[in-house]
Amino acid sequence: MAEFRFLGYLAEIYGKKNVEISLGNPRRLRDILGVEFPEDRSIILINQRVGNFDSVIRNGDRVVIMPMISGG
Amino acid sequence: MEGYAGKILRVNLSDGRVSKEKISEEMREKFLGGRGFAAKILWDEVSGVDPLSEENKIIFSTGPLTGLPLPSSGKMVIASKSPLTGGYGDGNIGSMAAVHLRRAGYDVLIVEGRSETPCYIAIQDEEVKILDARDLWGRTTFESQDTLETKHGKNIGVLAIGPAGENMVGFANVISQRGRAGGRPGMGAVMGSKNLKAVVVKGTGKIPVFDEERLREMGKEGYGEIKGKENYDFWIRQGTMQVFEWCDENSCLPTYNFREGTFQFSKRLDGYALEGVKVDRKGCPLCNMQCGNIIKDLENKNTELDYESVGMLGPNIAMDDLRKVGVLNRMADEYGLDTISLGSCLGFLMEASERGLIDARIAWGDLDACKKVIEEIVKKKGLGEIIFGGVRKAAERVGGDSRDWAMHVKGMEISAYDCHACPGMALSYGTSPIGAHHKDAWVISWEISTDRFSYSREKVEKVIELQRLRGGLFESMTTCRLPWIEVNFGIHW
Repeated sequence: MAEFRFLGYLAEIYGKKNVEISLGNPRRLRDILGVEFPEDRSIILINQRVGNFDSVIRNGDRVVIMPMISGG
Repeated sequence: MEGYAGKILRVNLSDGRVSKEKISEEMREKFLGGRGFAAKILWDEVSGVDPLSEENKIIFSTGPLTGLPLPSSGKMVIASKSPLTGGYGDGNIGSMAAVHLRRAGYDVLIVEGRSETPCYIAIQDEEVKILDARDLWGRTTFESQDTLETKHGKNIGVLAIGPAGENMVGFANVISQRGRAGGRPGMGAVMGSKNLKAVVVKGTGKIPVFDEERLREMGKEGYGEIKGKENYDFWIRQGTMQVFEWCDENSCLPTYNFREGTFQFSKRLDGYALEGVKVDRKGCPLCNMQCGNIIKDLENKNTELDYESVGMLGPNIAMDDLRKVGVLNRMADEYGLDTISLGSCLGFLMEASERGLIDARIAWGDLDACKKVIEEIVKKKGLGEIIFGGVRKAAERVGGDSRDWAMHVKGMEISAYDCHACPGMALSYGTSPIGAHHKDAWVISWEISTDRFSYSREKVEKVIELQRLRGGLFESMTTCRLPWIEVNFGIHW
């Protein structure tokens, strides 16, 4: 299983805040999500390292997708 | 350059003199407004003085867009030599006072000298009076707003201090409209030192603009664009409180006096918890992204929460209930205390208590103990006597190793972002002109989206770029920066 976490309004775009998906073969993040995100304003961390929507995700990965913010 | 009311209003409280000066074309072009004007005036006129002396001056400075029908243009900057840091200090505040000051025909108000008795300044267009405020002295900022509205009508702008400012607490701020706050580095204490309880402004004129019709069109387009953004509804629900979950996920949440970056009870305090207790929202004039979240606190009174206040009065002192945080936040607004510094001061005392450096017992998350300390801070008694000047001065008194965990830069308490694992943000705090404030360069998003652990030249350049943009442009225009990144409202520079 790969674990996906969505923060802020991106969770509303995806429809869930957290989801676990069994991937079988490794796949590109955008193919797994199947939903359009504002890519230039999203931050993606895969196992705490910077990724992007073309990064390949494997079972066991933890992916966090969050918006760019500018502080309170 | 158009867009300016064109005048500085100067009021001397020592001799009652009132004068009006033209703002030169050179001043407009080189310093723009807001922070730019304030820094220039203080640089020219204030040097080597005690911040709480008669010789210090306090500047209320608007920008060229203030009061115009454009998104987020209802702010002003309040600046002075800071009693908290001993250096330049300022803070911005969203207030009808900013709008009215421009309508009254002034871009800037300079207050100098010291009144012998408590007073307030009442401005109505060309008429400027220094009035008796003895009946207001000792009253909270909320009570003062009510009384001044009764006297002068509801259609006014009010900037008031509470008992904390009167007693010159180092982190006393200025409050407007029962919850809008500004002037973190003790701007309220400077007003208190001058016996200046409040400024009341009513302006009935028009702010001169080059092309009024085009301005109206631009405003309409701007408000419409913001409202149409895909995350607008989410912003309206949570405002800056969405930052809470984000910081918790990224280990940036100030927790236990910045010892940790995540909080075990964060779900009780985050933006979703807020949505569960929110009863209304408030904001600055001319803004359609109102970010003040109103809740009923534990004592069933309204209080206005945002991320900074919740971060510092929540996880930083281990308070695990938004309604408890609300009580402390409301007390701070009523007394006129900065909530960021207050949260840091309470966290400092809790850690000092835990380490046995002070006799008093103040446990993490103890609401009643916090309420007692707030009362003591305002009166400078008990623990308040130790902490009223902020954590830097408190560490000098408490001793031990407390300097190592007195969380400040230049004497100003760190905003609600733990930067143990964000070196760019540490650089930003360390090089901010007023001390550890988030408004100058908030670089954490950029760091996390690139390489948060690096110490690269690129990161330094990004901090400088943001300091110029946020601390320079936005603070001098005195427009709010939140529409820019938060809902992706386009700016071009």
